[in-house]
Amino acid sequence: MADNNNVENNQVEETPVGQEEVAQVAERYYEDEKKIKRKKALRMAGLYALITFFALFIIIPFYWMIITGLKTTAQVETSPPLLWINPAEWQFSNFSAALERAPFIRYTLNTVTVAVVATTGTVFTTILSAFAFARLNFKGRDALFMVFVATMMIPGEIFVITNFITVANFGWLSEQTWLDALMAQTAPFMTSVFYIFFLRQAFKTVPDELYYAAKVDGKSDWQFLWRIMVPVGMPTIITITILNAMNTWNAYIWPNLISMKQEFKLVSNGLRDAFSTSAGRPIYNEQMAAAMIVTIPLIIVFLLLKKYIMRGVSRSGIKG
Amino acid sequence: MLEDQHNVKAWFYLAPALVLLGIFIFYPIINAVFLTFVQDYNYLLGTHEGFTLLDNFKEAMQDQNFSQAFLNTLFITFVSVPISVIVALLISAWLNGIKKLQGMFQTIFFLPYVTNAIAVGMAFAFLFNRDFGLINLFLGFFGVNPINWVNTGASWTQAMFALVIYITWLGLAFKVMVFLSGLQGIDKQYYEAARVDSASRSRIFRRITVPLLSPMIMYITVTSFIGAFKAYTQVIGMFGQRLGPPGNDKSLITVVALVYEGIDNAASPGALSEAAATSIILFGVTLVFTLINFQVSKTRVHY
Amino acid sequence: MEITLQNVTKVFQSKKAEETVAVDNLDITIPSGQLIGLLGPSGCGKSTTLFMLSGLLRPTQGKIFFGNEEVTPVPPEDRGIGLVFQNYALYPHMTVRQNIMFPLENVKMDKEEAQQKAQNIADLVGIGHLMNRKPKQLSGGQQQRVAIARALVKEPRVLLLDEPLSNLDARLRLQTREEIKRIQRETGITTIFVTHDQEEAMSISDEIVVLREGVTQQVGEPQHVYDKPQNMFVAKFLGTPPINIFDGRIENGRLMIGDANIAKYDADDQEVKIGIRPEGFRIVERSSFKVTVDLVETIGRDTTLIIEKPNAEGETFRAIVDSEERVEPGTEIKLSVRPTKFHVFNKETGELV
Repeated sequence: MADNNNVENNQVEETPVGQEEVAQVAERYYEDEKKIKRKKALRMAGLYALITFFALFIIIPFYWMIITGLKTTAQVETSPPLLWINPAEWQFSNFSAALERAPFIRYTLNTVTVAVVATTGTVFTTILSAFAFARLNFKGRDALFMVFVATMMIPGEIFVITNFITVANFGWLSEQTWLDALMAQTAPFMTSVFYIFFLRQAFKTVPDELYYAAKVDGKSDWQFLWRIMVPVGMPTIITITILNAMNTWNAYIWPNLISMKQEFKLVSNGLRDAFSTSAGRPIYNEQMAAAMIVTIPLIIVFLLLKKYIMRGVSRSGIKG
Repeated sequence: MLEDQHNVKAWFYLAPALVLLGIFIFYPIINAVFLTFVQDYNYLLGTHEGFTLLDNFKEAMQDQNFSQAFLNTLFITFVSVPISVIVALLISAWLNGIKKLQGMFQTIFFLPYVTNAIAVGMAFAFLFNRDFGLINLFLGFFGVNPINWVNTGASWTQAMFALVIYITWLGLAFKVMVFLSGLQGIDKQYYEAARVDSASRSRIFRRITVPLLSPMIMYITVTSFIGAFKAYTQVIGMFGQRLGPPGNDKSLITVVALVYEGIDNAASPGALSEAAATSIILFGVTLVFTLINFQVSKTRVHY
Repeated sequence: MEITLQNVTKVFQSKKAEETVAVDNLDITIPSGQLIGLLGPSGCGKSTTLFMLSGLLRPTQGKIFFGNEEVTPVPPEDRGIGLVFQNYALYPHMTVRQNIMFPLENVKMDKEEAQQKAQNIADLVGIGHLMNRKPKQLSGGQQQRVAIARALVKEPRVLLLDEPLSNLDARLRLQTREEIKRIQRETGITTIFVTHDQEEAMSISDEIVVLREGVTQQVGEPQHVYDKPQNMFVAKFLGTPPINIFDGRIENGRLMIGDANIAKYDADDQEVKIGIRPEGFRIVERSSFKVTVDLVETIGRDTTLIIEKPNAEGETFRAIVDSEERVEPGTEIKLSVRPTKFHVFNKETGELV
């Protein structure tokens, strides 16, 4: 690969003629530059337009929920529909109507209680189990872990069938008391293989040396777990807590199956049952107001904690 | 000391989880298999009349709603998953290309993940309302007459269309998040090297970005399929227990809905067995498709 | 292809509107067909310069020429350059063959011709037998050769290498730097590489450019720059073990360290810094430079004397003498300095006096 340009080795400063040619070639690129800048600006504008279009697609249902919940019945039942209502006319009475229709406050309290109990239980059992898998050597550890992981692949319905029977057999379904309902709602969800898997990974990042050093200092495993491992895994634990709480809030299937009395329902099934589609023409604004009562708290929590939630979800997603 | 076996101690730590999992995970798996092969199971008494290999499966498949449920589930899966995966891929690629406001948009696209499927389902149902909904208003701009999507007498086609749109909407959040994470994890140097190699932008996307993203794409596709097979709550959200527009009840029933129908009828002998059999059929189908997915991805996915 | 950098400056602005001048008025001409080392400590602007040459970065001011052609606004894909990244940036999902052929895909070329070219270049760099492997199946040295092959396959006018040896273990480094030299000789392409290791730069470069905080310190053949440093920084940067620096003075035309008379020196009386190469000392019978040997290190090939001397920067200085000289620690010896092995610098500016 000989270097042909060795032949004409003109120094730029020496040849005025060469300088003109040089200028022309560069000119072209300098001009292209403006075109390129323009193209780039267009492209960015296009990107923002596309993104905004889809973002609107995401937001519109929320907007529709909110605006409908604030309309009067007359405004709701106009065709073509109204897109905006003057804030002075916002019908906050829809919320009181919804609350009269079904005890949403009660449902919220129920859900929060269940969430607290189930999450506390889950976090506790998860920490202990993740520690065992991550740190302790015991016979059958890997085999048992494989079994745990395998269960993650089995669809939830299969468990529900038997758990329903089990819960009935514990006597929590007939003549249900508040405690019965609580037990039935939380017991199957006091631990989760998925979270154990997730937390184990976080625990595994604690280097062996820390453990050995603690041992040398005479610390027991229990102390090591709570003083060192848990603080290290705290971001993950927080994520688990938040995700678990969120899932409880949004849960429908199990609560629907086992809340035997009106006052034990959770928000999701409470919402659906309050506006069951069998009762004639639905009162849309009330319905949407109720939907807002159920949706908005979670959105507020999300906006406050979004870093934890989004990070946790993507991390649990990536490890695949 | 380093290699000590902590057998007893470990089992203590695992005990709470194991007990709970034992009762609510391991036992149910075995029991589900048991139920599937048992005749006339009566859950109130805990008795049954003998064993059978295929009767419960036959019962399940002969249920009047089985074929509709199966059809609906397959339709939902094979229509909504490809659409939402492709749309999510595009959205995340676009998001990756912008700097300003990227965070804000990310938050917006993530909203569906934290929302209540029932509540938003209801909102969607009203969106698609024939007389008062936004969708028909929007279509009206193009001169299309109001369509009856979800109200009394709506046909399967209309209702299913609305449902699939709703399910796709729900599914975007998680996918966009995972894809965007994946895209952001690709070392910028690959792009620089490709620039030096004179690759055009579309070539870079096709030959570098997508292959490097392929593990995520595969993960999302597999989990999305599995999730779509389990569609149920979304239908409840939009249509309530009716599982379809009024007058067309149960037209949008899914396989999972069938299982829960069986549980509702638990008192009737054999109903639970039928439900168990149905769920095993669903599991089998899901497994087969997942394996097919893995096969297909062997050539396309690069780790 | 001769390369000219004309008053090239690069300023980076951080989000807080802080300005960093990475490269300050670089004005050099790089001769065609040679292997050039850009040498300097971390942060001296060498990588920035390399990336400006590649087109991935634009100079804030100044122009760059390849031969006669101004390439300042030209993007990397049109400049005809090959770039080897420090971490190689091999596409992990492609085989070696696909990696090397990738640049050719973007140019209209017959598939067979492309494959032939790829094979040829792979053979040239010594990995022709690994074409079907994936990058993660290769050793670090092999990966680097693939990166070099990928850069060379499009027959660039200029080959740029970013710290090519820093990711390799010590043994491999020696081997690889010879390889780079060999490849450059065989292809004749103007090649510029960036390094912070002065031994590396000195051993294979035809010419080195020493940079510090974005400013050129000296340009020239390695031996020349070593023998005739223009300032204290260059003197200290080149040479292992590093040059010894003494506080001294010029008095009455003589160069003095404390009481010791080093040599005659024609300059005004002033306080100066004197740099003396370790190999520049000789043990002699008579000299005013009297010292007591502190420690003796023998490595077989030669012997290093570590000597305490208050005027030395760092309180001790090193003298390398022939291993035949048997010196005991604690003895007093007399030293002379070879005239080509000392350099006198201005106490404030560090420039040659």
